[in-house]
Amino acid sequence: MGVVDKHSLLESFSVGRGVVKPSRKLYIIEPGNVRRVFEALIEKFGYGGFYLSTIVGTDLRDEGRIRLDYYIVLLPEEETVVLRTFIPRENPVIDSLVDILPGALSGECETHDLLGVVFRGNPFLKRGFFAPRDVVEKGEYPLRKDSGV
Amino acid sequence: MKRPRLLGLVLKNLVSKPATIQYPRVKTPVEPDFRGVQYADLGKCTGCSLCAIECPADAIKMTPIPPEYEVPKTNPRRIYPLINYGKCVFCYRCVKVCPTNAYIATNKYDIAGVSRLTSEAFSLTTLRRVGS
Amino acid sequence: MGVTKIVEIPVVTTEVPVGPQHPALHEPLLLKVYAEGEEVVKVEVNTGYNHRGIEKLCERNTFYRDIFVVGRVCGICNAVHANCYVRALEQLLDLHPNKRAQYLRVLAMELERVHSHMLINAVMAEIVGFETLFMQIMLDRERVMKAKEILTGGRVLADYMMVGGVRRDIDEEKRQRIRELLLKLKPRVEYYRKVFEEDETIVKRLEGVGRISYSEATSHSLVGPTARGSGVKIDSRVSDKYDAYGEIPFNLVTRSEGDSWARMMVRWDEALESIEMNIYILEHLPSDGNPVPDERRLPRRFPPGEAYTRVEAQRGELTYYVMSDGKGQNPYRVKIRTPSFNNIINSAFMYIGYSLADVPVMLTSLDPCISCMERVTVIDLEKNTRYRLDLKQLAGGKL
Repeated sequence: MGVVDKHSLLESFSVGRGVVKPSRKLYIIEPGNVRRVFEALIEKFGYGGFYLSTIVGTDLRDEGRIRLDYYIVLLPEEETVVLRTFIPRENPVIDSLVDILPGALSGECETHDLLGVVFRGNPFLKRGFFAPRDVVEKGEYPLRKDSGV
Repeated sequence: MKRPRLLGLVLKNLVSKPATIQYPRVKTPVEPDFRGVQYADLGKCTGCSLCAIECPADAIKMTPIPPEYEVPKTNPRRIYPLINYGKCVFCYRCVKVCPTNAYIATNKYDIAGVSRLTSEAFSLTTLRRVGS
Repeated sequence: MGVTKIVEIPVVTTEVPVGPQHPALHEPLLLKVYAEGEEVVKVEVNTGYNHRGIEKLCERNTFYRDIFVVGRVCGICNAVHANCYVRALEQLLDLHPNKRAQYLRVLAMELERVHSHMLINAVMAEIVGFETLFMQIMLDRERVMKAKEILTGGRVLADYMMVGGVRRDIDEEKRQRIRELLLKLKPRVEYYRKVFEEDETIVKRLEGVGRISYSEATSHSLVGPTARGSGVKIDSRVSDKYDAYGEIPFNLVTRSEGDSWARMMVRWDEALESIEMNIYILEHLPSDGNPVPDERRLPRRFPPGEAYTRVEAQRGELTYYVMSDGKGQNPYRVKIRTPSFNNIINSAFMYIGYSLADVPVMLTSLDPCISCMERVTVIDLEKNTRYRLDLKQLAGGKL
């Protein structure tokens, strides 16, 4: 199965397209669909067909939402694609991937600890994963733009 | 399984000189362009503060030059960059961004000591005292 | 006399903390190991001992100051960090350094790979109990450090990358000296590789310990020599062909065994490849102009945009995401994902079923770098004020 199949699969879920420099294809996906995309990827191409490189959470304070980017590397071509989704800043909840894709653990734990995104169904989420205790006690999420940290 | 011969290496090391250097009694050999202590030549410095703005470690503070020194006319505000070497990371950003190439780079690396070391003594020697 | 009584000793799960002081390397990380007898049944990875706030610090500083901030994420891999960040900035600015600069960048990064791989193999020798070998490898590693000093002006912290090129050029004399050092080093590395391949003690200690299969490596997002030791062909040098990697011949090293020994052998083979690459670079160094940009004339304003760059650091794929909103002098968001971040946190599954004594060996075979893994956030709540840590405190690199 070539890389074209993988792109057409991602495209079928996407509601928008874009590019992150240097020429990484970007697919915008509804937050409710993120888990389904990964389920489809695993089902069609298996665990050896891709890996989740990183989860980047960005606080877009002016727009009132948090942007989550899932960077996936397609194997064996080693092409990086981006799945982008937006969740509301007030109630940042999204389905966890950790039970179907264990590699999501580190990214989800970090994003929860530093940005306050709740990954529904991830039992390993905890504050103080990285942030020091005084920040945790105050209930601050350091990477939010208004955290005052 | 064949074993690689380590014995020869061990014997060689038993008779050879130790590889370690007795610092500080013996100086470590460094390159002439090793990034060591750097300071501003106040004959060229214009007090523009660009190095203090660009310093990634906030190690440079613009400080007034004491009144007993003759300051060139190109430095009307009579200030100079005072580098705190305890904070400095020796990235040489200041050396490279200086618009007048006023920084003097040396390969002096042995700056550990009991007192706080700054560039004050180095920089002020580049100026003449009033009346001398 | 027959057996009259059988005493059953219940198997209790014991919790054994490995770390946070010196779990294997001299770095803070806590592995909570749950063992039944000698057998490991569960491992929890506890982090947060070395958190310094680099990502937030990057948002606070200007684009150019950040080049030196990210160089201090980790001491061992500072050139690759800076390279990755600088290339992200170049993508934003649409700037392209010339060929000579690209070759010199690769030279600095590959020198770093050689000394990093030598270091972790030396540490592995120490963990195995082979301290003489540790000393020997570290002694020969000094040659690479010297080569790096000649090239960049610093033994460890290179500060060599700059937007649009590198920060200092090399002349004919330096070129010859680096080449001689590498030629002297090469037989030594070949010898150490042979020691790791053939020495009974090392092979018995490492073989079959911490096996990772191909699909486990990809599903747990393991990268770098850890994944390549399991036969996963990932190397951003090959796929992204950044800087001059498209022009310099080298082989992608993989092994199929998937155990600790395979990971260490991948490192030795890569170190040899890197030495070959460096000699190639020094012999084929193009001279198409000055590789050193004038740092006073670089563009001060960054257009809005986002860039995501990957680089093959010594421990695996390192990625930087840099976003500029075009409004100020500072980046809006910098996200650093280091290889150790995936390799350490996601690999808790690997320890299960092995004995307690194998834990340090397995951890070392991942080449963990805690200072790489942990970044972000510095605050002082007592005074309720922000403060900025000076870089000396931030520069907690490895060793």
